[in-house]
Amino acid sequence: MKTKTTLLAGIFAAGLCMTASAEDMRIWTNAQGRQVNASFVRLEGENIILKTAEGVQHSFPLAVLSAEDQAYAKTLKVEQPAFLANATVAQAAARVDQLVANGLIRANPDRAKKNLPPIKSFNPALSDEQFVRRVYLDIAGRIPNHDEVVAFQKSSGADKRSRLIDQLLDSDGYKTHLFNYLSEMLRVKDNFEQDNVRGTPYIGWLKEQVAKNRPWNEMVYDMMTATGKMWDKKPDGSYNGAAGYLLRDAGMPLDNLANTLTVFLGTDVACAQCHDHPFADWTQKQFYEMAAFFGATTTRLGGQDFAKGDRGKVLMDEIEKMIAANPSLDIRRLRNGLQNYIGANRSAIKDRPMNTLKLPHDYKYKDGKPGDPVEPKFVTWSSADKNNPAYKQSKKNEEKLRESFASWMTHPQNPRFAMAIANRMWKRAFGVGVVDPVTNLDNPDEDGSNPELIKHLASEMVRVKFDLKQFMRIVYNTRAYQSEATTENIPMGEKYYFQGPMLRRMSAEQAWDSYMTLVLGQPDQFKAPLQDLYAKSIDLNLDTVDAKTVLIKYDAYRKIQQKENELMGGNLDMAGGDMMMDGDSKKGGSKAAESTPSDGPGKFLTYEGMRLLRSAELPQPAPGGHFLTDFGQSPRNLIDGSTKIGNVPQVLMMMNGKAQKMLTSPDSLVFRTMEKVRDPSEKVETMFLSIMSRRPTMNEKDIAKRVLAQGEDGYANMIWALINTREFMFIQ
Amino acid sequence: MKSELLRLNDYNRREFMLNAARTTLGVSILSGLGARMAAAEGASNSGPGTPGFGKAKRVIYLWMGGGMTHIDTFDPKTGATKGFNDPVKAKGDSIQYLGGYLPKLAEVSDKLAIIRSMSSKTGVHESGTYIMKTGYEPRGTIVHPVMGVWATHFLGRIKDKTLPDSVIVNSGSSYPGSGFFPPAMSPIPISNPESGLQNISPTASDVQFNKRVSLMNEFDSSFRKKFQTEDVKAYTEFYDETLKLMKSEDLKAFDLSQESTDTREKYGRNNFGQGCLLARRLVENGVRFVEVQMGGWDMHNTIDNAMTNNGNTLDTSFSALIQDLESKGLLDSTLIVLGSEFGRTPDINENDGRDHYPLAYSTVFAGAGVKGGYAYGSTDKEGRRPADKQCSPQDFMATVGHAMGLPVDEVVMSPSNRPFTVGDKGVPVTDIFA
Repeated sequence: MKTKTTLLAGIFAAGLCMTASAEDMRIWTNAQGRQVNASFVRLEGENIILKTAEGVQHSFPLAVLSAEDQAYAKTLKVEQPAFLANATVAQAAARVDQLVANGLIRANPDRAKKNLPPIKSFNPALSDEQFVRRVYLDIAGRIPNHDEVVAFQKSSGADKRSRLIDQLLDSDGYKTHLFNYLSEMLRVKDNFEQDNVRGTPYIGWLKEQVAKNRPWNEMVYDMMTATGKMWDKKPDGSYNGAAGYLLRDAGMPLDNLANTLTVFLGTDVACAQCHDHPFADWTQKQFYEMAAFFGATTTRLGGQDFAKGDRGKVLMDEIEKMIAANPSLDIRRLRNGLQNYIGANRSAIKDRPMNTLKLPHDYKYKDGKPGDPVEPKFVTWSSADKNNPAYKQSKKNEEKLRESFASWMTHPQNPRFAMAIANRMWKRAFGVGVVDPVTNLDNPDEDGSNPELIKHLASEMVRVKFDLKQFMRIVYNTRAYQSEATTENIPMGEKYYFQGPMLRRMSAEQAWDSYMTLVLGQPDQFKAPLQDLYAKSIDLNLDTVDAKTVLIKYDAYRKIQQKENELMGGNLDMAGGDMMMDGDSKKGGSKAAESTPSDGPGKFLTYEGMRLLRSAELPQPAPGGHFLTDFGQSPRNLIDGSTKIGNVPQVLMMMNGKAQKMLTSPDSLVFRTMEKVRDPSEKVETMFLSIMSRRPTMNEKDIAKRVLAQGEDGYANMIWALINTREFMFIQ
Repeated sequence: MKSELLRLNDYNRREFMLNAARTTLGVSILSGLGARMAAAEGASNSGPGTPGFGKAKRVIYLWMGGGMTHIDTFDPKTGATKGFNDPVKAKGDSIQYLGGYLPKLAEVSDKLAIIRSMSSKTGVHESGTYIMKTGYEPRGTIVHPVMGVWATHFLGRIKDKTLPDSVIVNSGSSYPGSGFFPPAMSPIPISNPESGLQNISPTASDVQFNKRVSLMNEFDSSFRKKFQTEDVKAYTEFYDETLKLMKSEDLKAFDLSQESTDTREKYGRNNFGQGCLLARRLVENGVRFVEVQMGGWDMHNTIDNAMTNNGNTLDTSFSALIQDLESKGLLDSTLIVLGSEFGRTPDINENDGRDHYPLAYSTVFAGAGVKGGYAYGSTDKEGRRPADKQCSPQDFMATVGHAMGLPVDEVVMSPSNRPFTVGDKGVPVTDIFA
């Protein structure tokens, strides 16, 4: 929203056409007698905000209006905030707002010391232009395309914002964006760094849970208790991907547990793995007692875990004989690969009859000796936890220890479980947690900026039964969220009180997916192919499989990559149509209309070797040197391991990279959308709506005129310039 | 402010800027008495005139990601824990032997000083990596700077160059990067040494490119005026720095094609080998701190195979780097350091591998006044514990800082007002310097 008075002249000059149908439209007159047809939005301090017919809001000093109109404006009631339309969500949002508002004053003693003005209320409310871009980025993980911006601006009704929130929460973009968040948090990878073991079924499982909006407590329960291989098929036809959580850290159960406690409970116990925690109360003994819940669990099968012992060696002997009989095959070249192929099927979870966890050989505290067996025991955060129903879990059956642990951890009354995910979800919307870092919730009262708020958010998470979508719906409908981003600098580590969201740089995934939106229009229609081919071809039942089947399946396994490559194809100029590309037509037509529609996932476009797919459809994480890597995507080794720090390679890529070249090429969708209008000023407007999700200001229109007068390449230059602005890269 | 801080060239200017920074960035530096007091009980052994101090004008840090087995590399054993390969004879009575997978390094072991008594507390990859790069245990509340960034902080931006001060080769990420210092000080990651700095040439003509840049600034001016946050400013500084770099002659430092085929072969035609060669080109051109990463050390399974591959790669590239730096006359002023997050279990596990083992491991130094053929400290007969002169990751980091001439006792306050030093009060192992 612009507050410049130059703009006023613009809207008063341009706004004369009447739209009789809009009931709240009226003619406003300024002191010079110029007129504009617009609806009243609200008064904001000394300013009035009006909305013109095309849906754009303008703010300017009330004093410039005629005395009559000034008086009239003061009689008008403020337009109801959009989020009141949905009563239940609106009530929940209002309660959150009340707690945030109560907490704002807490900021002021500290601000007074630094000579900063006190915070009196929320930041100014977002304009529709700011809102549409932000919610697309926050909910769907990408900027809105041209048509989506225009559609929102044209939509009317007091509930237009909550309707868009609902629409986006039900979109594919929501799924892919939440998947990105969770896979960064859970360190989800394709490559498990064990021979031939890929995280593909785990990734598929996680996507499926998000798509189904599976309650968080149930998802986590499954990850804690899954048994078997990731690629085991379940009765309903889905894969046992939840096993990926423990298998991700196969052979490192203590690391896995430290991450579990950190991620799901906000309990930073990594130090206690090796020694008593220096700053918190956690002892090494307590850590081991928690680890004992996994003390009977193996993440790699040995002979004892198979019904008839490990048949790997027997199978290899048979295979060697078969290969020896075929002169065209060379066992020396195949042996290692085959062994690894069979070996991958030992990557599975099994609970053995005994908890065998022992204190480490260097244990040095008085409450135990090195090598002592450890009994499972839950940690507590306060003395009251003893009577907490979450703690009523049986520990008798050692093969079911994980179930006890999972029931305790995901219990609605677990002292930290709901709070941890609520705090994380809050951070997704505001850029900072109520308690930050989100990995340490040991003392939420002292470490957080608003203890009542964090407690309330935790209870809301329980109330909505861990429905993350519903929880986010409430958050996005708050006035706190629908405020402008804070413009002042908040130093790292300083408490933040949520007068509005922080200004945030796009994540690597948001940036890439926004590029994909500029290129493809609707990037969600393109999906990576053959996601279950790996699971199908790697799976062997080592109890029953025979040598011949191993060879046939191994052959299929080796052909996966080849199949994937065959499916690549399609040119840039095919993007933006509402049909899928067919691999056969890739060299065919130059128009989208000529390509053959097909209705399944599995076809996608490429540009100079880049797969034009959303980040969630690319390898996890993207390979080194990819746009996503340069932009700071998490390498998936650390919890929440991404960075939003700029660097030279990243800026070089923004300025000179392939993605940039693609957007400024005449084939790009931005250009082709601009082709639909004739007039240069309309083209400029289309360009701004496509890239910045807003119309150009008067000043920007003048710049555009000047640039276009200088020559043909003006549009490409402007596209380049806009994409390289900080405004593009930061979420307001 | 930040970019100015980065362009500082001389001491006075630095002093001036730090004073300014004290008020604006909230960074304050305790110098003189106040700072020395913090280290008083440790009775500093570092500073001008102490052995090795400031000899390393440049550092190449070879990072063995995954946890390098100490027994199969730089601390070989002959008894029950020997592993699958016999040690090879090294030069010098002090080192005596290297792991059997490192015959070429054994040939140049008269250039190496090995700390065999490293010991740390964490057997987790992430925290082990973090502590061996920053000297600090990871905390949820602050990110600590890596060594190259400490050097930029104390010594200022390298003179007359548009090249970055620090580069990380074979990684897409610079984490933990600049830590609590301004993000613009972060090392530059190079994902692949062969492609060097990607996207360095504009896709448009120079005239058009310049036009685009000024158009970008014009379109962006109102946003930058409204949001004057550190994050936004830092981005603008990255653009400025990058534009300067694009026009710089120094860029050829990144171009491996300027090396002869012979040289390139000698280093080994793989990412680590070529990364070492790139590191040599970079330090030759003034870059102060280059980290070269090598993965594949997490040898839980079949360690003999894994060592045959990884050991050979390391052996070839590390020895080539030493010889090449020496022939160029750069070895005396360049410190090569080799480190890893931890060692590996002396006992071979059921999968013929070794598991994580922080209690004993080795680090290696070469060049920059380091005593050749020298082993500092040792482990017991089976490589389980340091037998003498135990050395912590903090001591290790302080040693590198000391070699670079950094005041390791000086306390630097973070913007959140917490005190930090190079190597977290570690004591430099000056004994490895001649």
